[in-house]
Amino acid sequence: MLFGLFKDKTIEDHINKLPTGGVTVKALQALDFVVPGTWDNPTNFDQLLRTVTREADAAFLDGVKKRAMTLWHDQHQGYQKALDIYTRVDTAAEAVGLATFADKIGESVKLLSFLEKLTPKAETSQTIDLAVKIISELLGFTKLNGIPGDGIGDFVKALEEYAGEARIRMAAIVAFDGIIPLGPEFLNKSADAVKSLTTDRLDQHGGFQKLKGYLPGGSSLDFVQRGFEATTGWMEGFVNAHQLSREGIAGKLRGFIDFSEDKLEYLAAFLDVSVHYFGHTGTQSVATRLIERAASEA
Amino acid sequence: MRSLVLLRLTLATALAFAVVATTACSKQALAKPLPGGVFNKLFPKAQAGYDVVFTQEKEGFAQAALKKAGSEVAMLSISDVVGNGDATAKFAQSAEKIADQPAVANGSQGTAILVANRFQVQVRSKADSFTADDRKAWIERFSLGDLKALAP
Repeated sequence: MLFGLFKDKTIEDHINKLPTGGVTVKALQALDFVVPGTWDNPTNFDQLLRTVTREADAAFLDGVKKRAMTLWHDQHQGYQKALDIYTRVDTAAEAVGLATFADKIGESVKLLSFLEKLTPKAETSQTIDLAVKIISELLGFTKLNGIPGDGIGDFVKALEEYAGEARIRMAAIVAFDGIIPLGPEFLNKSADAVKSLTTDRLDQHGGFQKLKGYLPGGSSLDFVQRGFEATTGWMEGFVNAHQLSREGIAGKLRGFIDFSEDKLEYLAAFLDVSVHYFGHTGTQSVATRLIERAASEA
Repeated sequence: MRSLVLLRLTLATALAFAVVATTACSKQALAKPLPGGVFNKLFPKAQAGYDVVFTQEKEGFAQAALKKAGSEVAMLSISDVVGNGDATAKFAQSAEKIADQPAVANGSQGTAILVANRFQVQVRSKADSFTADDRKAWIERFSLGDLKALAP
């Protein structure tokens, strides 16, 4: 485990280097109807300081920023670990070439021109992807908020309170790792797959490997199964509340990706390698929580 | 002979300094922030129309969002100021008191008090409708007597 990974980079650096446009931001904007008017894609730390604290006084803001940096550098406080979890799970980073190319195409991406480069995932593999994303969120949540123990119960309760970028991230998990690749039956399919998961199969999953060092003690398989099962009720409610459907989400994405209805498995594969939604919104969550705390302690 | 006496004196002084420094250091090392979990039960309870939703619990810190009809109106917090001199310094000039503890306006959106010279209790507005009077009223709803008792 590479704790201290961000020793030379502060949360300010991480926020300030987030993209203001491109495929990731457009994909997230396509889902921002789940939090109408409350997410403005913060990519500037000083601006985020002003927004979160609702203050304009430079001296006060300097004090909050100084405190935020002290807390960031204190490894015990968990902010660096939370960011590490949020940024290590995205698969997009592994296909930087494709993502960069897609970002340069201008207003609309033509999926047809990428087909040869994309490999749709097998259904089982996709269901594990979904479970691993949920578990990543659970782990990021416990590190960010300081919840002791396995945190499953607290996490499920807190999901009801998720707002802003955190709620968009959950929408992206459900939409891009659930509904688009697996269809409307995504919850039943993944619940069945997670139930019959084995330790060996889980260990072969690249995303899960990256998380292993952050899992609480005991059986990893049991933790993943319990963590996923506990959130299915919330996911079902979320889908119903926002009437999330494959057609609806595809329609929103059509604003910037050009694809045909019979190529949804390729659309899913494209989103998988080009959209960095987990790290992007995760960085924003860590910065927001850190500022909330620093303002309380300033 | 004189130089030997001088040397002995110097050594004795150095030793005395070392003892003082070590004692000061160990005192500082002993003063560790309390775990955030001990603060949770001292927060105001939810009441008519308001919910208290805990958001962070870290070493020396606990925080909860105050919600009214589902919308966040304020952030409530207790923080242990051990090792955070900047937090305590602002109370030095304070003439105001809330619940008999030194109080300050912290920026334009925050009101904070320093309890037993050890814990900062702060309420920060997250909505325009939540005024300075509201902040004062919610600070008084913390279990401040029990918080005071946690100070060494």
